[in-house]
Amino acid sequence: MSSTSNAPPGNNRVRIVVATSVMLTFISYWRAAAIILNDLGSSAFYAGGIAEQAIGKSAPWFVLGVMLFAFAVRAVYVESCSMFVRGGVYRVVKEALGGTLAKLSVSALMFDYILTGPVSGVSAGQYIAGLINDTISIADAHGWIPAAIHRLFHGTPQVGVNGTAVVFAVAVTIYFWWENIKGIEESSEKALWVMQITTVMVVMLLGWSFFTLLKVGGHLPPFPTLANLHYTDESLGFWKHSSLPHMFGILGLIIGFGHSVLAMSGEESLAQVYRELAHPKLKNLKRTAIVIGVYSFVFTGLVSLLAVILIPDDVRMKVYSDNLIAGLAMNMVGPQVLRLAFRAFVVLVGFLILSGAVNTAIVGSNGVLNRVSEDGVLADWFRRPHKKYGTTYRIINLIVGLQLFTIIVSWGNIYTLGEAYAFGVVWSFVFKTISMLVLRYRYKGERNWKVPPNFHIFGVEIPVGLASVGMVLLATAIVNLFTKSVATVSGIIFSVIFFAIFTFSERVNRRKHAHNAAQMKEQFQLQQAESVERETVGIRPGNILVPVRDYNTLNHLKWVLDRTDTHEQDVVVMTARISQFGAAAYGLSTEQMFSDYEQTLFTRAVSVAESFGKKISLLVVPARDSWSAIAQTAHNLESSGVVTGLSSKMTTAEQAFALGSAWEAIPEPKRQFVLQIIQTNGTVDTFRIGPHTPTMKNEDVVLLHRLWLNVTREPGLENVHHHDILTEALTRFARDFAATDHEDIVRQLRRHIVDDSPVPVRRIADQIDTVQPAPGRSDRDDKAGGPAKDD
Amino acid sequence: MSISVILVKILEFMFVAGWAGSVIVLLITGVEDVGTLLDREDETSH
Repeated sequence: MSSTSNAPPGNNRVRIVVATSVMLTFISYWRAAAIILNDLGSSAFYAGGIAEQAIGKSAPWFVLGVMLFAFAVRAVYVESCSMFVRGGVYRVVKEALGGTLAKLSVSALMFDYILTGPVSGVSAGQYIAGLINDTISIADAHGWIPAAIHRLFHGTPQVGVNGTAVVFAVAVTIYFWWENIKGIEESSEKALWVMQITTVMVVMLLGWSFFTLLKVGGHLPPFPTLANLHYTDESLGFWKHSSLPHMFGILGLIIGFGHSVLAMSGEESLAQVYRELAHPKLKNLKRTAIVIGVYSFVFTGLVSLLAVILIPDDVRMKVYSDNLIAGLAMNMVGPQVLRLAFRAFVVLVGFLILSGAVNTAIVGSNGVLNRVSEDGVLADWFRRPHKKYGTTYRIINLIVGLQLFTIIVSWGNIYTLGEAYAFGVVWSFVFKTISMLVLRYRYKGERNWKVPPNFHIFGVEIPVGLASVGMVLLATAIVNLFTKSVATVSGIIFSVIFFAIFTFSERVNRRKHAHNAAQMKEQFQLQQAESVERETVGIRPGNILVPVRDYNTLNHLKWVLDRTDTHEQDVVVMTARISQFGAAAYGLSTEQMFSDYEQTLFTRAVSVAESFGKKISLLVVPARDSWSAIAQTAHNLESSGVVTGLSSKMTTAEQAFALGSAWEAIPEPKRQFVLQIIQTNGTVDTFRIGPHTPTMKNEDVVLLHRLWLNVTREPGLENVHHHDILTEALTRFARDFAATDHEDIVRQLRRHIVDDSPVPVRRIADQIDTVQPAPGRSDRDDKAGGPAKDD
Repeated sequence: MSISVILVKILEFMFVAGWAGSVIVLLITGVEDVGTLLDREDETSH
């Protein structure tokens, strides 16, 4: 095969440069903290209620203890991120503990991820149903409900809380399923916005609660002693007939701790945002950890405590167990209408943050399963992209199917869901911490920070801190196995099913991959490069970049090859390997980057090039989003043009805008380039990316020329140029836009876009008299004989 | 002493010792965190 310019002499294999650094748009630690808190903060809405249902009124102390302990768990994640281990969770655990435990840990993680959706969706539904019912009750108390409706419902009309929660959770899950099929992009902007609103709510909640405490007073919950722990049969699980839980004080503490551990679910997101953190990475990671630690301690910890102090015992668990923050809002001092309005605000914030968590669950699960698929543990069949949207729709369908099944089977029982969720949370923490412990001895690579303290005895490191965190987690996870019967049974069934799928897929893949690897070795030579540089790819400046994704739509590549002399201008065919949010936690190995799909894609691209008898260079780039990847690659390769096909989701203008926005995010200095979008009917739309001289309409040029003619009649302005008039006009526009006429200008511009008509400009041009220049005056435009090229 | 009691004792030891060690982790990292927060030299914009 001779389709590349870079194959070494005597070697017929096509060389493919595989960049290994993910092309990310780096974010500040505030944004990173906002992304994590969207997941971690959402547990504040249900963790306190679930814990109190399980162990009684002392629950807030356990929640506070969990939030404190979360600081130590965070340290484990900081150490894990400071090591650069290639591969996802599966790879990390596999490296430390071997393949079997790695598959088990991924199964536990999937259980955690998949349950995040139902627990969040159902919790949001509970808050909404609670608000509807209380609003109707208050309206009824005021006599605002008509008697006929009263008779129809045999009393005050109420919606079924669990049924409403199930309907809501199903609707939200289906909505985000469709959004993920279409391939929505995660935005730190949105996460920051949600956290800003949440912070307003938290500040109001705490301020109002403390004011209420000052006014009416309150009592702290009973301290967590054996006598104060009140277990239900449900909260003792397999130990409900055993005397053990009542014999040992510390065991009681572990049981209580285990029932509160889901308050720190979402910690794993810390590893997911690490790759995207701006420089200095480690310091910013620590700052992120501090922000989320303090925020979640205050939000989840203090809110659980205040709920027990302020909500009367007789209604707290009876009415508000599933919507504790709403109960807190309703039990403040102040007018009822104000409390109800604040409760509505709490429900709105809950809706935003919990719905976001439903989406995070789908995106996170998709990311994890994509990674295990890349690791060869899940059949490639799952990763086949959607024909229209290019997303891994089979994996998304599987995840959402399991989530919908969970929602319906649980029928809105948030306690059962929460308990099961805790199983996944605690066991994925356990696997992670034990892996980190083992890697202390087995991994000798880069590690910028270690969980303190560490001692050395006879030259052997004793990781006291890491082992301590591991012991607490392991003890809690083991006790949970006995006390959470539903979670244990469902968690084990789920994990065993996933483990079986992974094991079976791995065996099938091993045979298939051995065949593919041999075939690939014959065709392609992979060259790994840390970053995309022109020298690495071996091409000249001014090349054409052709992004490809679907091997069935390579018309734009044909269009380029038909018009390009590759002896004069290089053509680079590039595919972006998109790592969704959560999947970018660790780098990909070269073999993972260039999988079965990329091999087929490039085989087709090479066939197309061969059919034209022309050379192409091939490039694989990991990225978080395709537009950033294209813009950064074009910039790094000094490309003069990017040629792409028409997106199935966007118009050509939208594609150009997306690429332009990605280009704007590249730091200066940067180069402009031309984007050409080839439509299926062969129409070519051309856009310039970056600042450029705009294409002027003829009537605008006429207007400019007439203005110039009039201006140059003024004494002392004979030597004014056309560009002087443009400069003055733009300066005035900028001033008016910034100050007085902003709204008017925006309105006018909107009219231009809607009308898409040059008429207003032409009318203005017609109103200006044409004045012939006086003899002897000169301007470069006049010499050109009219409105032509300006200087 | 039955096996279940021995298991419980081991779990209790792990939990208590683990918490004791975790408190040391919290103290050391807490001091480090204060230093990280005070060092705003290279802080990125929002």
